[in-house]
Amino acid sequence: MIYKDNKNTAVVKCKQLTKVYKSLWVGRSRAVCALKNISLSVNKGQIVGLIGPNGAGKTTLLNLMAGLIFSTEGCVTVCGHPARSTKARNGLGYMPEHPSFLGRYSARAVLRYHGALLGLSRKTISLQADKSIEQLQMQEFIDRRFSDFSQGMKQRLALAVALMNNPQVLLLDEPSNGLDPVGIIQLRDVLKQLRDSGTAIVISSHRLGELEKLTSDYIFLYRGQVVSFGDKIASDQTGLLRVELVSNGSYIAEKLLSPSRVLGVSDTELEIAVNDPEDVPDIVSDLVKGGARIRSVNLQTEDIEDIFLRLYNERN
Amino acid sequence: MRAYELIKETFCRKLYILIVHSSWLTLYGIIWWLFNPRASEFSEFGRFIFIWGGFLLPLALSAGIFGDDISSGRICVLVTKPFWPGELYIYRLLGLSLQAAVHFILAGCIILILHALMRKGSTDNLGMWLFASWLLFNTCAALSTSLSVVIGRAYNALLLLVVIVTGYFVVSWLIFSLKQQAETGVLFSIIRFACPPFKLLYKFACGEYGKYSLTVGRFSLTKSVACVVHSLILTVVYSIVGIVLLSRRQFSCERD
Repeated sequence: MIYKDNKNTAVVKCKQLTKVYKSLWVGRSRAVCALKNISLSVNKGQIVGLIGPNGAGKTTLLNLMAGLIFSTEGCVTVCGHPARSTKARNGLGYMPEHPSFLGRYSARAVLRYHGALLGLSRKTISLQADKSIEQLQMQEFIDRRFSDFSQGMKQRLALAVALMNNPQVLLLDEPSNGLDPVGIIQLRDVLKQLRDSGTAIVISSHRLGELEKLTSDYIFLYRGQVVSFGDKIASDQTGLLRVELVSNGSYIAEKLLSPSRVLGVSDTELEIAVNDPEDVPDIVSDLVKGGARIRSVNLQTEDIEDIFLRLYNERN
Repeated sequence: MRAYELIKETFCRKLYILIVHSSWLTLYGIIWWLFNPRASEFSEFGRFIFIWGGFLLPLALSAGIFGDDISSGRICVLVTKPFWPGELYIYRLLGLSLQAAVHFILAGCIILILHALMRKGSTDNLGMWLFASWLLFNTCAALSTSLSVVIGRAYNALLLLVVIVTGYFVVSWLIFSLKQQAETGVLFSIIRFACPPFKLLYKFACGEYGKYSLTVGRFSLTKSVACVVHSLILTVVYSIVGIVLLSRRQFSCERD
């Protein structure tokens, strides 16, 4: 559950969070409300996907959690401390959407620099750097200048930097941008390991298929508001049962099925809405008992992309 | 470790920094070679170092010291690290100040070597001019770095230059047109003590305070110490403004 506050394990808490961007020059008339009254919490060992169209407020929410911006109303706590405090930042790892480091520094120098900023000892920095290099397959470009990096290399290095302090909370903005398929699989493995070790991970991503492989907890944002949480999405989820018949499709649909459940009818095919996949055997059994001669049955459930499109279309 | 990395970073930030230092040092050498000042002309050469090294060098070096981070998005990762943002500011300014110290020591060495090779000219008060230039560098660097927190990229340097040159003409005009009025005293005090201490440090380096008591050669000890302390206080005040701005600023790579 994302929205229920579990006091024992919640490491990120947002309470009544509102963010309004105001223009300094033209006053309130140009104010943009990026987030409206959002309350949520993220628990230890949980991966939460932030999804939503462009301009929904995903990056704003991540920036508030990272303490990069101030909320207009409400508050964010990370590991029990206000998001901008040093104590909160002790347990935080943050990876921006477009990571950038000093162009003259090699990947190793970048890791050493950020380790030093975290206050780690030389030995710890060296150990952490070696661990990240191996975990994220950075051996090939570890001594190359950052200015010569490809997008995928930048992403790997940014993730390694975010992991330098073994964070309790990891905030990732589009982490798989520019990664090749091998890199995406490695990223997924690393994130799963971190989740298993108790790290709370919040990912903002447009790659819904990738998110689906990592988590079933989603927050769907639309115009600065939470439209649906993960388990709400699951409860709303519909499936489409395609039943291929030998003949008499129209007759069987009229006789055996309620009109609201029938989405499509032809002589040889029925399309039936299914709320729960466990209802399928009963539906098939009823059809057979009613005299239907079935050639094949195919259940199509919504994936996260279908859900995203459904929620998006409902609001447009 | 943190201090070392942040100070080192200000040296290694860009290749451009090395180019600026080299060209500035080369120019001191060329001007000295061509000008080859005698004792009576040395103030003119000192003034050149003072303006070129004390004022224009910090503008070139501190240009975008935070602005570059802000515009590239690097700052978003830096400020999520668990330390006081003031440290970031202080160590970077310290890095600039160390660079300037090395720069002025090298400038002094170049001039002394040329002087020894050419066996003519004068190096009167060279040390005082270099010290005054370093003090002015620190004050201007603090002001420029603080501006860099709110103004992206290197535009702060240009802005500072425009503001100071415009300010200089406005103030000159004010002095010229209002010098008969008693109320202008407050205005002059503000300009003298709150703005970068060009005039005070210039007089300090020229030895114009020699007529006062407690003198060492041409230099008044009390006035000279007051000038140094004043420029250091201004550096601290400008830095505090920058630190407050950095602590209170919001950083967002982009809105989505």
